Amino acid sequence: MTLFERVFNGSDDMFNMAVKAVDEAIAKYGEDKAVSLPNTAYGIPCLYAFTAKKYETLGAIKNEALPAIQEMMVKENRLHHAFTSGIATALSAEVIETMKYVMNDGEKPYDDKYHGHMSDAEIRELGVPLVTDDIPGVAVLIGPAPSKEIAADLIKGYQSKGIMVFMTGGIIDQAIEANVNMGFKIRVVPCGPELESVIHVVSVAIRAALIFGAIQPGDYDGILAYTKDRVKAFVNAFAPLSDRTVGCGAGAIALGFPVITDDKENTWSVPKSLIIYDGYENYIPASIEARGIKLKITDIDVPIAVAPAFEGEIIRRGDMQIEANGSRLDAFELVRTRDASEVEDHKITLVGKDLDEFEAGSRINLAYVVDIAGKAMQPDFESVIERKIHAYINQCEGIMHTGQRDMITIRVSKAAFEAGWRARHFGELLWALIKNEFEAVCDKCQVTIYTDPEETAKLRHELAAATYEKRDERLGSLTDESVDVFYTCTMCQSFSPSHVCIVTPERLGLCGAVSWLDAKATKELNPEGPCQIVTKDGPQDDRLGRWDGVDAAVNKYSRGAVERVTLYSIMEDPMTSCGCFECICGIEPMSNGVVIVNREFTGYSPIGMTFGDLASMTGGGVQTPGFMGHGKNFIPSKKFMAAEGGVERIVWMPKALKEEVAEKLNATAKELYGIDNFCDMIADEETAADEEALMAFLTEKGHPALGMDPMM
Amino acid sequence: METTKLTALEARIAKATEKLLIPIEKMEEEYAKLHDIAVAKGTETWEDRKAAQKPQCTFGEEGVCCRICSMGPCRITKKASRGICGCDVHGIVARNYLRFSAGGTAAHSDHGREIMHTFSQTAADKDYQVKDVDKLLKIAKDWEVETEGRDIYDIAHEVAEIGLLEYGKVHGVQRFIKWASKDRQEAWAREGIEPRAIDREIAECLHRTHMGCSSEPIALMRQALRSALSDGWGGSMMGTEFSDIMFGTPMPRDTEANLGVLDADCVNIIVHGHDPSLSEMIVKYAEDPELVALAKEVGAKGINIAGVCCTSNEVTMRHGIPMAGNFLQQENCILTGAVEAVIVDIQCIFPALGPLSQCFHTKFITTSEIARIPYATHIPFSVETAGANAKAIVREAVENFKNRDKESVYIPDMKRKATVGYSCEAIIKQLDTVTNSYVDETGTYQPLVDCITSGVIRGAVAVVGCNNPKIRTDFGHIELMKKMLKNDCVIVLSGCSAQAAAKAGLMSKEAKDICGAGMKRVCELADIPPVLHMGSCVDISRMMRLVCDVATQWGVDVPQMPVVGCAPEWMSEKAVSIGNYVVATGIDTFLGVVPYVGGSDVVSNFLQDGIKEWVGASFTFETDMEKLGDLMLENIEAKRLALGI
Repeated sequence: MTLFERVFNGSDDMFNMAVKAVDEAIAKYGEDKAVSLPNTAYGIPCLYAFTAKKYETLGAIKNEALPAIQEMMVKENRLHHAFTSGIATALSAEVIETMKYVMNDGEKPYDDKYHGHMSDAEIRELGVPLVTDDIPGVAVLIGPAPSKEIAADLIKGYQSKGIMVFMTGGIIDQAIEANVNMGFKIRVVPCGPELESVIHVVSVAIRAALIFGAIQPGDYDGILAYTKDRVKAFVNAFAPLSDRTVGCGAGAIALGFPVITDDKENTWSVPKSLIIYDGYENYIPASIEARGIKLKITDIDVPIAVAPAFEGEIIRRGDMQIEANGSRLDAFELVRTRDASEVEDHKITLVGKDLDEFEAGSRINLAYVVDIAGKAMQPDFESVIERKIHAYINQCEGIMHTGQRDMITIRVSKAAFEAGWRARHFGELLWALIKNEFEAVCDKCQVTIYTDPEETAKLRHELAAATYEKRDERLGSLTDESVDVFYTCTMCQSFSPSHVCIVTPERLGLCGAVSWLDAKATKELNPEGPCQIVTKDGPQDDRLGRWDGVDAAVNKYSRGAVERVTLYSIMEDPMTSCGCFECICGIEPMSNGVVIVNREFTGYSPIGMTFGDLASMTGGGVQTPGFMGHGKNFIPSKKFMAAEGGVERIVWMPKALKEEVAEKLNATAKELYGIDNFCDMIADEETAADEEALMAFLTEKGHPALGMDPMM
Repeated sequence: METTKLTALEARIAKATEKLLIPIEKMEEEYAKLHDIAVAKGTETWEDRKAAQKPQCTFGEEGVCCRICSMGPCRITKKASRGICGCDVHGIVARNYLRFSAGGTAAHSDHGREIMHTFSQTAADKDYQVKDVDKLLKIAKDWEVETEGRDIYDIAHEVAEIGLLEYGKVHGVQRFIKWASKDRQEAWAREGIEPRAIDREIAECLHRTHMGCSSEPIALMRQALRSALSDGWGGSMMGTEFSDIMFGTPMPRDTEANLGVLDADCVNIIVHGHDPSLSEMIVKYAEDPELVALAKEVGAKGINIAGVCCTSNEVTMRHGIPMAGNFLQQENCILTGAVEAVIVDIQCIFPALGPLSQCFHTKFITTSEIARIPYATHIPFSVETAGANAKAIVREAVENFKNRDKESVYIPDMKRKATVGYSCEAIIKQLDTVTNSYVDETGTYQPLVDCITSGVIRGAVAVVGCNNPKIRTDFGHIELMKKMLKNDCVIVLSGCSAQAAAKAGLMSKEAKDICGAGMKRVCELADIPPVLHMGSCVDISRMMRLVCDVATQWGVDVPQMPVVGCAPEWMSEKAVSIGNYVVATGIDTFLGVVPYVGGSDVVSNFLQDGIKEWVGASFTFETDMEKLGDLMLENIEAKRLALGI
C-alpha cells in the first residue's frame, strides 16, 4: 500500500466514525439540537477555519459540515489531495470530539485527568510566551510510547527545554504511572484518551491563525502558510500507526508539523516531514531539528532543571523545605547599577547561614542584591531586569516565586533541596540568566545573598526601600508629555504580522508585558529589534493622541497594513491588537460606557459576550472602532480612552479584575474627576449579569457615564 | 468550500502565474516590436526566412532523400520504393538518422576535446588554472593516476593526456561509463553498445553509412546508440567535468533573465555559443579596472555581460551572468541597438548575425576556426594568449560604445529573477539541508528518493533542448514545465529550455507557488526553485550521472524510475545525439518535434518501441504539447504503479 493510500484509508475511517457519532447524537437529541464547544468565539473552530461556516445544530453538522469534509477527500495521487484528506481527517476528528461534548450536555466528556478542548483565553495566554520563544516549540505526542520510562523521559525532556507538550492516547496513562506532573499551567497537557482528541491541539494552532494572524476563515492556503511558518509544532507518533493516525499525520504535515515515528512497517520517509526513527535517546533533539526549533542555550550551574514550563508549578506547604516571605519576615530582591570597579563578575557571596543549616519547613529571611556594571547600563533598566527575576526563579523545577520587590514569597521544595539546591544557586541562576538576556547592557554581574536576619532587615529598610521609592518617583514623573519619544513593539509580528504596538509611559503594550521602560531597554539591548523609536513629530490632536510620527511608525512597521492610529481613543483609529492582550474593552451602548473583560474571566459580560467573543472582534492587527485590546495596567491610566472621557466610562469589570486595579483606578478617578471610591460604582458579574441589571446598578450608584454623551 | 478543492489549487496556481510569470503573449509583443525595427532597417529575421522557406521539403522531413552518393539524389516515393543502389526506405532513413546523430556527437565531443586541450595547458601562473581540486583528484583516482605527493598541475596534465586519448584510443571503452549504474553498464555490454574511442565511433558512423555499407536499419540504430553514448558518457561528460575543474563546479547563485537584462547605460557584450574557455576570460576582463575606467570614459556606466545559448548557461552557472535569451533571441539582442559586441565561439550561431550586425553599430566577433561566419570580425582566440585576446575583444566592445545610436535603442522592459547553478554536487549539498542529523546520512540522494517513493514528488522530468521555429517559441518548454510542476514533478533543465524557464520567471524560488502541493512543499523545505538549472547542453551529462546515482541509491535500474526526458522544441543534430544517449541510459524520452524518420515505419517504430528491448527505454514523438505532457505523466504513473509506490 502506498503512503497516500494509507492517508485516504485513514480519512475514510475517521470520516465514517464522525458520521456514526453524528447519527447517534441526532438519534438522541434530534437535528435541531444546538452544538458548540465551550469558551470559543470560533464555533467549531477547525471546521469554521476551513469552511468559513459556523455549524450551530446537529442538522447543520450532518447536512452541511460532513458533506464539506467529504468534498476534501479526493483520492487522487497528488500531495494536494493527501493534504486535504489529512485536513479532512482532522475535521472528522473535530466532529467526533464535538459529538462527545454534545452527548455530555456541552460539558467536558472526560474525567479530570484529560484537558479536552482549549478555550480562546488559554490560546491567547500562549501568545506572549510563543513569540518570546519562552515556549520555543510544541510537541504533540501520540502514544503509547514503547515504555512508560521513555514516555516520562520524553515529556520531562521537552518540558525542561521549554517545549509545550500535548498528549493523546495511551501515553497519558504512562505519564500518570511515571508520576509526571501534568496540566495546562505547567505546559504538559493531556488532551484526551483517544486519537481524535488530538484535534484539540490542532484547534489551538488553527485558532492562532485566526486570532493572531487575522487569516480569513476559508483561506486554506493562508491557514497552511501561517501554521507552517509560525507555529513551531511537531508530532511524535508511536508504533503501531493506524491508518487514522497516518491520516491525521497527513493533516499535521499539511499544517507544516513534521511527524517523527518509530513505526517502520508500511511507512515512508519524507524529508523534514515524516521521519522514521527509533533512537529514543535522541528523539528530542531529532524532533527539534526536524521542526527547525532553535533553543536559547543557557548553561546554568544549578542542580535542577530550569525551563519556562515549570513557571506554573505550585509548591504546597507539605512539600516545602524553606520559605521566605516578605510579608512575614524580611525578604526582598534588588538590582543595582554600580561602577565597573565595584563589581567582580560572577562573584557570588552568601551572608548568613546556608539552606541546609535551617530546619526543614523553616520560614527564613532571604534577600539577594544583584549588582550590574556595564557601559550601556542605565538606572532605568534596573526595574526592567529586576522584574524578570520572578520568571527566572519560577522557571526552576521545584522552586516557586511570587510577588516583587520586598513583597516576595519564595518556596524551595524538598525535592529541589534534596537535588542539592542551596542559597548560592540563587546567585548562579540570576548571574547566568541576566548575563544571557541582558548581555548588551550587563558587562559584569555579581550577586550577594543574605539570610542573616539583621543584615536582611537593615538592607531592606535602608537600601531597598529607598531605591524603590526613588524609582516610583521616577515612574510617576514619566508621562506621555514628559518624554521625548515613544517606542514601537513588534515582538508579536512573528505571530501577528501586521500589528504594531505604540508603547508610551502611560500606555504599556497590550499584552501587559512591555512598559515604556522595557521598550527603551529592549531598544538598547537589540538596536535592530522589535522596539524602535517613535518620534512625537507633527502633533495633530492632543485629545485623540494623534501624531504624524506615530502614524509614520505604524505605517512603516505594519508595512502599510495600518495607516494611522490614535493613542487615546477607542472610537477613532484605535490601536490594533495582536491577539495576546490581557483585557479587552468594548462599548456598552445603553450606558454610554464600556465594559472591560480580562482573559481569565470565562463568563458573559452584560453585553452578552464572553472575553473570547469580544476578543474575536479584533486582533490580528485589525482596527475595530469600539473594541480595543489592552494591558491591565492601562486601566488606571489617565490616558485610558481619554478622548472619550477617560476611566469614568468604565461601567463593568469582572470582580477579580476590579479588585486588582481598584487602588490605582480609584486614585485616577479622584484626581481626574474628584470621585471617591470610583470602583464601587463599577458593576461586576455579581451585581449585573445583563444590561438591564447593569442599568439599574449604574442608576442606583449614580455612575457618571450615564450623564455623558453617547460614544457613537 | 471551493478553497479546498482542486479548483482552489488551480486558483492559487493561476494567481501566482499571473503575478510571477511573463506570459508568452507579452514576450511575443516585444519580439514583434524588435521585428519592426528589423523591417525598418530593411533587414530580416528568422521569422521572415522561415516564411520564405515554406513549404519545407517533405522528402527531407520524412528522411527519405538520400544524397550519400552521386548516383542520386534518390528519394523514395510511391512509385520509387528503392534508391538506385537498391536501398529501401528503411535503410535510407536509418542512415540519415545515424549521420544526423553523428554530427551531434562530433560537435559535443569536439567541444569536450577543446576543453581538454585547454585543461592540458593549465598552470598556476597562467590564465587557466585548477579550481576544483577535489573533482580533479577524484577523476585522477578513478583513472588510476598517482596523486600522492604530486603537484596538482602534474596530475592535471597527466589526466588531460588520458582524457584526450579517450578520443582516439585503440582499445577499450570509455572510462566514464564506470560511473553509470551497474544495471546500465550490464545492459550496454549485453547489447554491444559500450562506446569505444569517440573519434572511432563518429568515423564508424560515417563509414557504416557510406555507399555500399550498412542498409539494415536496426544495425544502424545500434551504432546510433553506441556513438551517442560516446558523447553523453564521453565527450560531453569530459566537457562538463573538466570545465568544472577549471572554472569551478557550479553552486546556487542568483541572476536574471530575458532581454531586459541589457542595460541602456552600459556597454553591453553578448557572449554566445558553447565553449566556456573564451567567455570565462571575457567575464574576467569585463571587471578589469582599466577597461571599466575606459567604459566610463566613453560615457557608459560600466560593462554589462549577458549571454545567449549555452555559453550563457556556462557563465551564469558559475558567475551569475544574466541570460539575455535562448536560441531564437540571438537576433533580437542585436535588434535592441544596445549591444556593442556579440562575441561567439562555436555552435548554434546564426550566420544571419553577420549581415544583421552590419545594420547596427554592433561588432560581431567570431573567435573559433570551427565557426567562421561571413561579415564577422574574426579575432582568433587561443589558450596560450587567452587573457590578452579577451582583453582586446572587450576593449573593442567598449570602444564601440560611442558608435551606439542612443536615440533608437529599444530594450524590452522584461526580465525575471532566477536561481541557477545546480550541479550534481550542488543538488546533494541542497539535499543535505533537509536531512536530520540524528537519522540520516548526508552526501546522498536519499532525500530525493524518499520524496519520490512517498509520492510527494511523482517523478522527475528533464526538459532540454533548443528552440525550433516549428513550435511557438518557448511555448513547448513553458507549458510542459507548468504542467509537470502542477503535477508535482521535479524538473531539471539545461540548454535553451533552461533559459526559456528563466526568461518566463519559472526559475525563481517564488515560482513554488505555481506548483502542486508536493513540489511547493519540496521547494520550501529545500529552498530551491521548482526547476533546477543544471547547465549547458553538454551538461546533460550531469543529468546522466544524477539518474544513475539516484538509481544506485534507490536500488533500482534507471528504466524503472519515474523519470522522463523531454525535448519539446529541439532542432540540432546534437539534440538527436543527446536523445540517443539519454534513451540508452534508460530514460524514456519525449520529443515535440519528430526527427526525420517519418518515412520508415521500421525506424520510427523501433525508436518508439523496439529499442526498449535493448535499453529499457524508448522515444515518444508527439507534436501536440498538451498530449505530450499527458503522455509523460502517464508514463510516470505507470512506472510508479509497477514499482508499487
